[in-house]
Amino acid sequence: MKNWHWIVLGILFLITLVLEFTYLADYDSHWWNSVPAFYALFGFIGTVVIVYVAKFIAKNIVNRDINYYD
Amino acid sequence: MIELLTIPGVILIIGAIVLSLLPEKIRSTVFLIFPVAALAVVLTRPDGYTLTAALGSFELIVMEVDALSRVFGIIFAITAFVAGTYAWHIKDLGQQINALVYAGGALGVTYAGDFLTLIIFWELMAVSSTWLIWANRTEASDKAGNRYLLYHILGGGLLLSGIVWHYMETGSILVESLEQVYTFGNVLMLVGVCINAAVIPLHTWLADAYPKATVTGAVFMSAFTTKSAVYVLIRVFPGWELLTWFGAAMAIYGVIYAVICKDIREILAYHIISQVGFMVCGIGIGTEMALNGATAHAYSHILYKSLLFMSTGAVLYATGTSKLVNLGGLAKKMPWVLGLYLVGGFSISGLPLFNGFISKSMTISAAGYAHNEAAMLMLLFASVGTFLSVGLKLPYYTWFGGKTDNDIEVKPLPKNMYIGMGIAAFSCIFYGLYPQALYMYLPFEVDYTPFTVYHFVEITQISLMTFAGFWMLRKKMAGELIIALDVDWFYRKAAPATRKIFVRGVDQFYDRVEDKIWDIARFLTRKFKNPMLWLNPFTDKKNEASTYSPGMGVVMSFILFSFIVFALFLYL
Repeated sequence: MKNWHWIVLGILFLITLVLEFTYLADYDSHWWNSVPAFYALFGFIGTVVIVYVAKFIAKNIVNRDINYYD
Repeated sequence: MIELLTIPGVILIIGAIVLSLLPEKIRSTVFLIFPVAALAVVLTRPDGYTLTAALGSFELIVMEVDALSRVFGIIFAITAFVAGTYAWHIKDLGQQINALVYAGGALGVTYAGDFLTLIIFWELMAVSSTWLIWANRTEASDKAGNRYLLYHILGGGLLLSGIVWHYMETGSILVESLEQVYTFGNVLMLVGVCINAAVIPLHTWLADAYPKATVTGAVFMSAFTTKSAVYVLIRVFPGWELLTWFGAAMAIYGVIYAVICKDIREILAYHIISQVGFMVCGIGIGTEMALNGATAHAYSHILYKSLLFMSTGAVLYATGTSKLVNLGGLAKKMPWVLGLYLVGGFSISGLPLFNGFISKSMTISAAGYAHNEAAMLMLLFASVGTFLSVGLKLPYYTWFGGKTDNDIEVKPLPKNMYIGMGIAAFSCIFYGLYPQALYMYLPFEVDYTPFTVYHFVEITQISLMTFAGFWMLRKKMAGELIIALDVDWFYRKAAPATRKIFVRGVDQFYDRVEDKIWDIARFLTRKFKNPMLWLNPFTDKKNEASTYSPGMGVVMSFILFSFIVFALFLYL
């Protein structure tokens, strides 16, 4: 990842934030619409949760040697 | 009678027969004619068109057309064509025939108006798809194929029992939506269909077998079995509440395993389970919008999932390995495949302007409109995992992975593979830009626009932050190839014990009985050879047949003769 990649993604993120606080400011159909940048938080926390949960399950429960069933 | 040959499913099955008579050179090209013919029939038959045939006292509706069957018919025919193009270089007659029969089975199920027709095509799918696993001809694929076949025989058996039960109760074999009543017959049918839809915990056949199928076979498999089951669920079990939660759970279950797995085709296989979860959830919600969403998502899913299986298949074909640990650094060597894969990866992740966006957002919104916010959040959570594993982890570790180059040898791909992938990628983008082309075929009227600011903000924020999270934690997802245990552990580990009890145990029992019978026979012949020896303890004179008087001989012959007559009389 080069620097300009991050800059592009950052700008894109800013655009979504601007849209959220201007265009969608009074949009309300679910309880979480009142949480600012909810979907960003959801995406980030979701990723962290999935990675660590998967890692935990893999390590403690499901991972076996590749020849396990032979 | 001749009209029966124009049933789309039958066209493909006739195609399979024709193929077997043709020389190798033109077979792959002729293969492509039949899906096109089937598509032509699918597109020209009007709503309400029916074909009937009599079987005994049953009036079978072998083909019945409405909006729902048409949209599935279109996508099945298109996929058969696309996958056929991708597999054009294959010369193996067995695979070609079975791929056509398999596609024909899926189309047959789609148009079946009664359950008897449905189960026949259903079982055809199970048998023909097994061949596509066995065709790999490795020990692992042999065994996985056996397990796959057994599982589907079980599923088909449950479905058939359910149908019979249903017929006994209602006297009807029509394929129509059932009221949500958990009678024994309905439950049997539901479980039978859920096996094909890979609903957890009945999903293990999929993750077990698909990664072991042939490169081209997996493309066919990713499209037909689960999606024809989704079709039947939409048709027969719409609004069955239980499906909502099973669907949402499947969606999450699949992505967690996709993060754990280290084989590219295994990751995709678990993702089928996850994506079918979206559809099953929509079917459980059961509103018109949700059923539209499930249908649209099945349509989109078939396109991008076959694209994903084609491009990972291309990697496997070119490098000979599908293990993430051996891949990486292929971006310079296979840039086109990377590009095509990413179209599929962005589609499945539901990024705007790709076809996943127009169907996934519809399903998720349907959950929202039905005020099922828990299901909605679960599906959104699964979307995070989808982008994380198929959109980021898989391509990162296959084409980049921190390596600038990989000394792995890369075979050139046949041109037809690129054409197949190209058609699928084009369709993904086409429907993504122009959703109306799909929406006009959906079973209910569509009152929904995907391109809203809200959806743009939603999916962009989720994707950007998923990417950020991935970049931070990407090292955690690398690693050696492992076996990730799943509930198939129960039957795979139980197999030796089962074999011991039901095969070897029974064998040994029969062996022992056989030995005993021989012993008894030997004992009796020995004793009755010379019965006077033990009947009359006061003599040791041995009887010799040659010393008997002629009269005795006649009596003995008569007794023997009576026995023979008696035996004949008894058994004839």
